[in-house]
Amino acid sequence: MMANPIDPITFEVLRNTFEHVCRRMTVILQKSSFSPILSENLDFSNAIYDPTLRLVGQTANCPVHLAAMHFSVQAVARKFGIETLRPGDVVILNDPYDGGTHINDVTLTMPVFYENELIGFAVSRGHWMDLGGGGPGGQGFGTHVAGEGLRLPPLKLYRDYQVDQDLLEILLRNTRTPHYVKGDLQAHMGALLAAEDELRATARKYGRATLIQGMGDMIGYTERIVRAEIENIPDGVYEGADYADSDGITDQKVWVRVKLTVAGSNLHVDFAGSDPQVAGAINSPFANTTAAVYTALQFFLAPDAPPNAGMFAPISLSLPDDCWLNARWPAPVVGCTTVTSGKVQSAIWQAVAKAIPSLAIAPTCADANWFVAAVRGPGNRIDVFSDIPAGGWGGTPYNDGLNVTLDPLGNCTNMPAEAAELLYPVRVEAFDLRQDSGGPGENRGGLGARFKFRFLNGGELSIETSRTIEGSPGVNGGGMSPVQLLVQEYQDGRREIIGGPRPDGTWRSPLLSSHKFGPGEAFEFLSTGGGGWGVAQTRAPERVRQDVIDGYVSHQAARRDYGVVLDPNTFELLHDQTSKLRNLA
Amino acid sequence: MWKVGVDVGGTFTDLFAVNISTGEERTGKVLTTPEERSKGVLNAIANADLTPDEISLLVHGTTTATNALIERSFPDAAMITTEGFRDVLEIGRMHREHLYRPYQTKPAPLIRRRYRYTIDERTNAKGEVEKCVDAAQLEPIIASISEARIGSVAVCLINSYANPANERKVAEILSDALPNIRVTASADVKPVFREHTRFTLASIRATILPVMANYFERLQARLLEGGFSGNLMILKSNGGMMGVDQARLRVEELVESGPAGGVGYAAEIARTAGFPNIIHTDMGGTSFDASIIEDGQGLITREYELEFDMPVAVPMLDIRSIGAGGGSVGWVDSGGSLRVGPMSAGSVPGPACYGRGGIRPTITDANLVLGRISPDLSGKFKLDVPAARDAVETIATKLDLTIEQCAEGMIRIATEAMAQAVKLVLASRGRDPRDYAFASFGGAGPLHACAVAEALATPTVIVPRYSGVASAYGALRLAIKHDEEVFHYAPLTAEELDRVSVKLQSLGEAAVDALVAQGAKVEDLSVSFVMRMRYAGQTFEVDVVQDRGAIEDRDVQQLASSFHEAHKREFGVRSDDFPVEIVALAVTAEAPSPAGPLESEQNSQLAPSQQKGRKVWFGDWTEALVHDAAGAQIVSGPALIEDPHTSIVIPPGWAARFDSARNCILERA
Repeated sequence: MMANPIDPITFEVLRNTFEHVCRRMTVILQKSSFSPILSENLDFSNAIYDPTLRLVGQTANCPVHLAAMHFSVQAVARKFGIETLRPGDVVILNDPYDGGTHINDVTLTMPVFYENELIGFAVSRGHWMDLGGGGPGGQGFGTHVAGEGLRLPPLKLYRDYQVDQDLLEILLRNTRTPHYVKGDLQAHMGALLAAEDELRATARKYGRATLIQGMGDMIGYTERIVRAEIENIPDGVYEGADYADSDGITDQKVWVRVKLTVAGSNLHVDFAGSDPQVAGAINSPFANTTAAVYTALQFFLAPDAPPNAGMFAPISLSLPDDCWLNARWPAPVVGCTTVTSGKVQSAIWQAVAKAIPSLAIAPTCADANWFVAAVRGPGNRIDVFSDIPAGGWGGTPYNDGLNVTLDPLGNCTNMPAEAAELLYPVRVEAFDLRQDSGGPGENRGGLGARFKFRFLNGGELSIETSRTIEGSPGVNGGGMSPVQLLVQEYQDGRREIIGGPRPDGTWRSPLLSSHKFGPGEAFEFLSTGGGGWGVAQTRAPERVRQDVIDGYVSHQAARRDYGVVLDPNTFELLHDQTSKLRNLA
Repeated sequence: MWKVGVDVGGTFTDLFAVNISTGEERTGKVLTTPEERSKGVLNAIANADLTPDEISLLVHGTTTATNALIERSFPDAAMITTEGFRDVLEIGRMHREHLYRPYQTKPAPLIRRRYRYTIDERTNAKGEVEKCVDAAQLEPIIASISEARIGSVAVCLINSYANPANERKVAEILSDALPNIRVTASADVKPVFREHTRFTLASIRATILPVMANYFERLQARLLEGGFSGNLMILKSNGGMMGVDQARLRVEELVESGPAGGVGYAAEIARTAGFPNIIHTDMGGTSFDASIIEDGQGLITREYELEFDMPVAVPMLDIRSIGAGGGSVGWVDSGGSLRVGPMSAGSVPGPACYGRGGIRPTITDANLVLGRISPDLSGKFKLDVPAARDAVETIATKLDLTIEQCAEGMIRIATEAMAQAVKLVLASRGRDPRDYAFASFGGAGPLHACAVAEALATPTVIVPRYSGVASAYGALRLAIKHDEEVFHYAPLTAEELDRVSVKLQSLGEAAVDALVAQGAKVEDLSVSFVMRMRYAGQTFEVDVVQDRGAIEDRDVQQLASSFHEAHKREFGVRSDDFPVEIVALAVTAEAPSPAGPLESEQNSQLAPSQQKGRKVWFGDWTEALVHDAAGAQIVSGPALIEDPHTSIVIPPGWAARFDSARNCILERA
């Protein structure tokens, strides 16, 4: 039965209400949580679903959670049956093979009732710092998912708003950071209760039927926008590819190969030809791959539409059975959200660039550069400190790329140095721009960062990243950015490259598992910028000169990459030498 | 003697004055003088037939600080920071404004990278100095700052919130070497933790200090020339006011100085006119502002961002602004569509009908063409109808429309944009416009208020008595407010409370002294104490207003229970599982407006209602009655009510009445 569409003002109010509910959940989770990865890095997402399990609204601090949470609600329904759920039930899960992605992303789902009738679901997913496993933060890099921490199938953690003490004890005893668990649970619960409160108030005001119809209308609205945009793309088949440097077990590149088929208002995404499942921890469960696909496409299809299930309908997906992007138990998966999502997104962007070349933007660093460090504090207490020192974004047809901004897969914030030092036995010594790290171009790639911190009492660090063999590629004649580098600085000041190309010509994999740092030793990470857009030698010399004055580009790089020569002291443009160099090029 | 409120907007400078002994009220409205805004203030005083020597209190709201920040039209400032942290302003918190827009850029940092210098120094999170400041390292920096003729420097060192010694040392060396520059130490602006928040606030102060110092100096010089010896007060972002000597130093508190007066007036109406929840809107020549009044109070935010990822860590009224005003220009885009704004003709050249060289059609021209404003509305200068028609015609011909159709189209487009802006403010907090009364302020507001309210389905429109000079009137209604805050990290225990009590005592004294220095009487003051608290392990705090007595009695139970309740109110949950800690202490001292209660003029003797007929366009030329605001009682649309500064348009189907305070209440008939 087609009901009449609701009036435009109510539609507008509901549209904003759904956004507002999720935003309020976000504020509560951020401000009242205990793990800094939630409160400072915002590595979480909150969403609401309609009674038929369709996504209605979401704040995505992590776009890569988008679509993936959809699998969580379905897993809850599959396990318990929607009709058995009661007010005050909260289901927890994190199983990569049953509604989750990687172990650390824990999802809590609460059914919401108004006058005893289901009106939707509130879902809160957060990255929990540590759930045990072979290495801190789940980064053991074994070859079995069991090594990555405690795996939770859908379980009722709360009944009638009361926590199950037995389950809570299991959680508390299977983590290196038990001091976060109760506080983070309380924060998630605050977020869910706020959503319940807001949805009930909306049902009270407009009636249950209008609320639920509004949810459906919203989904239809987004779908119309997405279909209209797909129709703007010429029908055809477009291919793209990117790779992870290694899976941490062997030093082989691991490839994503993607084919987009556009036909009318439908888009099919096929990963045939991508590499088989690998031994190391970068395999991606279906839910995570799906999420990466939608995130990547959203940039070109519906950047401003309400993010809901309407995005999913026009886009279909197929994956080979034996594929690292379609992981099967017991494959390890901890790197799926950070390493693998970035490669899927980059491959899709390169395919999109072939479909609509005038709208292309150069690839980003395509990595979150997520690290986890176990640090020893007073009384030998082990704490777990984590951050995501981002790289840069590619140049665009209109402007230079963004400096040091989290990759498209997420929108997390950094850990302020002053917060890190207050909480952990570390000294943060740098987080600034890395000179010459943007791919040269008429529009330059944004810069990457230099990030450095010192272990005051020693500890160990795990990280998974890429772009240490080649940097971010340019488009339309733009240049490539330099490679990323991981450095260990010893107490005597000696520096050693522990990830990336070394001075002796060898190369070290940038996937480190529990790498040891002694007291007073420092970890330095040099992230890369984005690729360049357009030929660098056509960049206006005055723009290059301003870049050199501000130190984004060095004198040497100005000469080498842009053919621009400046007086080393006064920064005056030396016209003759510049035109000579540019004419040679 | 007179008490006077003045508001300097983008296009007009407005004034409201009340005579202390007779209660006589006067208003003034002149064009803003953007090249030198203080001149406009003096013009407004003259416009109301006053001279500065007759004024005992002048309360002033100004957008000068905000304009300078948004336009980056301040002289370059420099920053000195800890090695490794040169780019805190530029990297920000590393996220992006639009989740999915591929071509987005970020706002330019307030201080350019070339003027951000680093030194090797260190204080740790406990406040211990690990490496002292080395004066030799500052020598080349001082030389470079001096050579670049930089006039203002922000010193922003890591962990200075825990111990400002190194920062102050750098500031001292700088001041000694370069006595004429202004030096801002970040922890002295506000000792908040998180480097990006504190460095940004310090940069805001450093960049606009010289701008505001110049402005206030020129203003005071002009007033002094006219014999002014009264009290000069400046509106601040938190909806209070402060003395000019404070304002000169605490320039970061001026970001919402301009619109604060209007919000003060709206709050007064909410308290007195029987509409506790109000959408406050203000449409002047350049911009349209919207905010919410609930239960008689303007909503305050502590999360205001000047631009994306540029936090201003002081409490501020939550006001949203878009570029839509009487001066917004109508144009035809490359696709042949009629567009309005965001560019504005401002006061120079102004709308075409001002006859100051403007040739492009503005919203004011459109209203004049349609007969909705009278050519001699202002009484001071006559509006040029043929010039307005010519301007509108330049685009009407491109669109194949009549002049009237085109003018009406421009107004419809502007109306829709304003309705959208209001929806954004309300809906971002999940509010429904139908639950609010729509209050329309500003010279151009009441022309469009009913149309915007229609678009929002808001049932009631209020046009306050002094709508045309609302911010100037409201300026006299605000309290003097002073905030003090210190970082103080401690568990909530009885022993710690001794130290807390001592600190709060001295903060309270500092705040009281500050108010007394601004002319407040001690017996009028109220002081509130806030502890910023959290559960041990969290990283964000909740502001908890605490009872002074409980602090002095070391009543840990009482203080903790206030925190639990505040946490529950804000986040929906509370717990006894975790210990409670204090992160910062704050004090707000408040004194009632120095203007005192405004005795409204006796209105019992209403002027006889003046009416005349005029052709006004509502889809076609329609005969409408034009009423004089002073005498009007109940008026049914189509009609107009005019006063010297504004014109209330009552479309067909609406009716207006006046309440006892002469606020005009409009409802659908």
